[in-house]
Amino acid sequence: MKNLRLKAARAALDLSQQQLADDVGVSRQTINAIEKGDYNPTIKLCAAICRRLGKTLDELFWEG
Amino acid sequence: MDNYHTGLALGVAAGILAGLLIVALLFKKKVLDMHFDERQERARGKAFQYGFFTLLVTTYAYGVSDMVLGRWCDVLTGVTICLAVSLCVFAVTCILKDAYLSLREKPRTVMTMFALISAMNLGFGVMYALSGGLVEDGVLTFRAVNPVIGFVTLVILIVYIVNHLLRSREEEAE
Repeated sequence: MKNLRLKAARAALDLSQQQLADDVGVSRQTINAIEKGDYNPTIKLCAAICRRLGKTLDELFWEG
Repeated sequence: MDNYHTGLALGVAAGILAGLLIVALLFKKKVLDMHFDERQERARGKAFQYGFFTLLVTTYAYGVSDMVLGRWCDVLTGVTICLAVSLCVFAVTCILKDAYLSLREKPRTVMTMFALISAMNLGFGVMYALSGGLVEDGVLTFRAVNPVIGFVTLVILIVYIVNHLLRSREEEAE
């Protein structure tokens, strides 16, 4: 399932996939795969992304 | 050991040493790098698994073919072919999962290097074929190692470029 919340949070900060990837230390393809729902990141990467985007894990990754 | 075999052993040792020095230099100059992210590590693990099982199958198939058909290639060439097929499986799987190049490697630099390696080895292959050294008495000689390496690097290069072009088109469409 696509992670549109992540995409929206990234776009709100006017960050490209490459910029976010560089900031959290992964490849652009990894961010793309997470947004497309092709890859389930570890909690460590989820936390790094949340920290960079100023969001909580619930806001970006919890499917309630 | 006679002079021929001593020379051969020294030649192989010198070749391996030169290869190791070149690879070490490429790592030092940051042309080659081994820093992968978690998704890439996982994808490479899967690719390694496929490559490993391919190596088991090809090695066994080579052994069986040697027993059934008789000697059709030098052992070094046979082993190189098995490794080449396995490496192809590993590399192609990695490329398809965007996990072949590390975070710091520059695609253009690495692929240029692959193109050079491929051209050089295929060139040696053509040279050996023209001089008649590639096949002797119906047996593929150890000189076939060069064209095999050239072919593998060419396959990796082509798959990388085609995959890159297809992905770019997909991303433009999104």
